[in-house]
Amino acid sequence: MARDPKYDILFEPIQIGPKTLRNRFYQVPHCIGAGSDKPGFQAAHRSLKAEGGWAAMNTEYCSIHPESDDTMRVSARIWDEGDVRNLKAMTDEVHKHGALAGVELWYGGAHAPCLETRATPRGPSQYASEFETLSYCKEMDLADIAMVQQYYVDAARRSRDAGFDIVYVYGAHSYLPLQFLNPYYNKRTDKYGGSLENRARFWLETLEKVRNAVGADCAIATRFAVDTVYGPDQIEVEVDGMKFVELADPLVDLWDVDVGDIAEWGEDAGPSRFYQQGHQVPWTRFVKQVSKKPVLGVGRFTDPEKMTEIVTKGFADIIGAARPSIADPFLPKKIEEGRIDDVRVCIGCNVCISRWEIGGPPMICTQNATAGEEYRRGWHPEMFPKKKSEDSVLVVGAGPSGSECARVLMERGYTVHLYDSAEKIGGHLNSVVTLPGLGEWGYHRDYRETQITKLLKKNKQSQLMLGQKRMTADDVLNYGAEKVVIATGSSWNTDGVNCLTHAPIPGADASAPEQLTPEQVLSGKKPIGKRVVILNADTYFMAPSLAEKLATAGHEVTVVSGVHLANYMHFTLEYPNMMRRMHELHVEEIGDHFCSRIEKNRLEIYNIWGDGSRRTYRGPGVAPRDANTTHRWLEFDSLILVTGRHSDDTLHRELKARESEWEANGIKAVYLIGDAEAPRLIADATFTGQRLAREIEEANAQFPLPYKREVATWGTPHLPGGTFEIVYQK
Amino acid sequence: MKILVPVKRIAALEEDFEIRDDGRDVDGDFINWDLNEWDDYSLETAMQIKEAAGGEPEVVVVTVGPDDAEEVLRKCLAKGADRAIRVWDDALEGADQLAIARVLAGVAKTEAPDLILAGVQSSDHSHGCTGIALSALLDMPHAAVVAAMTYSAGDAKVRVQRELEGGMLHAVDVSTPAVLTIQLGINTPRYASLRGIKQAAARPIEELSAADLGADFASASRVRRMYVPEKSRAQMIEGSPAEQAARIAEIIREATGA
Ligand SMILES: Cc1cc2nc3c(=O)[nH]c(=O)nc-3n(C[C@H](O)[C@H](O)[C@H](O)COP(=O)(O)O)c2cc1C
Ligand code: SF4
Repeated sequence: MARDPKYDILFEPIQIGPKTLRNRFYQVPHCIGAGSDKPGFQAAHRSLKAEGGWAAMNTEYCSIHPESDDTMRVSARIWDEGDVRNLKAMTDEVHKHGALAGVELWYGGAHAPCLETRATPRGPSQYASEFETLSYCKEMDLADIAMVQQYYVDAARRSRDAGFDIVYVYGAHSYLPLQFLNPYYNKRTDKYGGSLENRARFWLETLEKVRNAVGADCAIATRFAVDTVYGPDQIEVEVDGMKFVELADPLVDLWDVDVGDIAEWGEDAGPSRFYQQGHQVPWTRFVKQVSKKPVLGVGRFTDPEKMTEIVTKGFADIIGAARPSIADPFLPKKIEEGRIDDVRVCIGCNVCISRWEIGGPPMICTQNATAGEEYRRGWHPEMFPKKKSEDSVLVVGAGPSGSECARVLMERGYTVHLYDSAEKIGGHLNSVVTLPGLGEWGYHRDYRETQITKLLKKNKQSQLMLGQKRMTADDVLNYGAEKVVIATGSSWNTDGVNCLTHAPIPGADASAPEQLTPEQVLSGKKPIGKRVVILNADTYFMAPSLAEKLATAGHEVTVVSGVHLANYMHFTLEYPNMMRRMHELHVEEIGDHFCSRIEKNRLEIYNIWGDGSRRTYRGPGVAPRDANTTHRWLEFDSLILVTGRHSDDTLHRELKARESEWEANGIKAVYLIGDAEAPRLIADATFTGQRLAREIEEANAQFPLPYKREVATWGTPHLPGGTFEIVYQK
Repeated sequence: MKILVPVKRIAALEEDFEIRDDGRDVDGDFINWDLNEWDDYSLETAMQIKEAAGGEPEVVVVTVGPDDAEEVLRKCLAKGADRAIRVWDDALEGADQLAIARVLAGVAKTEAPDLILAGVQSSDHSHGCTGIALSALLDMPHAAVVAAMTYSAGDAKVRVQRELEGGMLHAVDVSTPAVLTIQLGINTPRYASLRGIKQAAARPIEELSAADLGADFASASRVRRMYVPEKSRAQMIEGSPAEQAARIAEIIREATGA
């Protein structure tokens, strides 16, 4: 099918300086964990999107000099010829698909702690980073300013040599140029501080120098947070924002605008829990009123209707996307081909971002299990190897892992029966999406539902079997499948087993009328009293989500948490607004406390650091620390046990116990995936389904094949012409 | 004890489709073939009667259709039907419901079932009369749109509840042999297991030609045209108020033929 003509405007080319974008779909800079040290990953991830129709692909933030070193987080680097060689792999591959490649030149100031290089970051004034632990910068004098500006120029020249078409001066997310512009950082009294013209000077000069160096060959872009969304003390779009755009307009070929800073960059990469598609428009729409250059904006744009509206209403000329391009690298192509219902819509969970925030691991995506696996496992999100046998497969459980496994097996041509006791694909996700703000997470289920429905039409032997009675081992043995995949998920513990004591809590019992598991809360069948205590030992969203749900419904909610409440939400950037919401709803948190026993309507809690700080050997049978004497009782009408999860793996255990009967029943293998193997993130559960489906012919497909590793290789110097040998200073 | 279940391979349309060049049906390229949804329920009804009687009653499925229609019979065999019969004759191409009912009546006469369970209607053509026509041709009592029923193999009568308008039910006793047309929702149809599907693939299908049945299969109607009605078009009238008024007057004149 051809694309709908109403989207034609999204496919019109647009000129940016000396280059042309072939359409309006633009992958803004975003990290993937590749940088310049994993060139294969970098090249494959970006060029796949070029194949998927995007007009330009950018690197993640790319350090211009060892003084801007973000270790443990992974940035790209363009410090030397070695980096140029590695980044060239990306530009070459992107060019093969007729798209442009961009590089986001980055200098971090105090936000970059220089843990690897041990260099001293420089900044407009001396400040301690509000984002990074224990990191200060040195205030630049005029010589420093000239020197750092030269770093940009040298890096821009190397970028041109590496084949980049677009060169950024990156001033969003509170990195150096914005630090000069923002009086929150810039306390100078010389010509680089004070008035807007003075605060803008560093950025303008840098743009001019970079433009003079490479502007004839490369489009010069700048990324600008037009409003830091903190009000009058920092950058406001209608005050400094628009004025800066006017000043810099002659120096740029492309404006890439967003909002926010680095400490709360969830205001830019807004999680769906708090922000919808297009959430930045009220701020960024002002830019086009003062700029004569092409402008691009972001805001989790996944819907071509909305994108078209953005362009036709003149809010921006180009649709920038990070997450939508991760969840569906073929988004532009699918719009072009009129295949809107095949789009894998980003759910806005920010698990992609969590990996960068954790520092180091490759990016993963909840929706797109192939993200980050393009190079190392050779996974293409839209291409599936043909099946290598006539084996039919029974998948028990249609949650995230089971439905993904079934989908990919069906794409490969296998006959698959996908079986679930629930009436709908999605497993536990169907109740999770009813939590406050998580509705968009349902796109994960919707994508699989749509695809499976289509695939069923291609192979009449395949079946989707919902609302069925739970399968027993006998049912599976008699079923007639050669391969069986068990994806039966996990449940919350009913007895208080948790990550702190690894044991049940005396008195914990979710079959009691006043105690509930999260599933029981979500099913809405058990009455919940006025005073609710949530006992938490989980580090992700369940406890705060339930607190929000119940407090909104008028309950008085106290969270007793033995672990850092919502710790993983720091990584998904949901933490700041989640805490604001807890505060607004008067949810009380008793942190660093856990529970020793539960009686009817009360639980005994204790401070987890309440035992003695001095450790002494006191012989066997005696604890090496003084007894914890902080125990006290807390009353509740209802207690919710968010203490931990366990795999629902009974069916798998029963089948394993009857392995001797498999052959007689024609069963060649039984696999265990998703939460049923071990409870985990939806992204990881989905991955296990995709992984098994792609490797099911392997001799022991339960366990992953090795992947192609990218590591520094002994005997090969990083710098062309350099040495790899051990050489000491003499 | 024998139950005959007539089933149909129906045409489900792709989202976008085109009409055949002769204008009488949808172009085959845009059709997904499947077992009629109602027939899932009539087969399940038969299977439950069979199972309740310890498996003795024989469930025979029959369809009138070309080679490709075999797939719906295999689907029924995979779910546990005992035998499958397919009747075809090129002369049946384009046959109406009455002709199909005549063929089925021919089969029913040879098979002599105690009960015939048909679907209320087919999801593609929705005539809702093949089952009833069959009962008339066989001179058997019938009950249409059966939403619930009580019957054990060998009973002299079936107690049925028929669905009426306004949520009313109509309780009727029908003596057997009888033809019932079964409504959606009367039960939860089973799925075939992979074992069932594999076994069904190797089972024989009894093939009869229309001539074997030696009856008159003439249709009483024929399709003249199948088409998508034209949608009325909205249009934006632009220009000054005077220009708009002139344009509206013109449109009214065109529409009224004045
Ligand atoms: C995984 C990830 C990493 C990111 N890394 C960068 C980065 O290195 N440089 C940058 O300017 N923005 C970065 N961003 C922010 C995006 O460029 C973008 O501004 C933000 O995600 C909003 O766009 P979206 O709604 O289309 O995701 C990152 C975003 C994601 C999702
Ligand atoms: S991980 Fe979540 S937020 Fe990130 S791209 Fe995938 S679906 Fe979107």
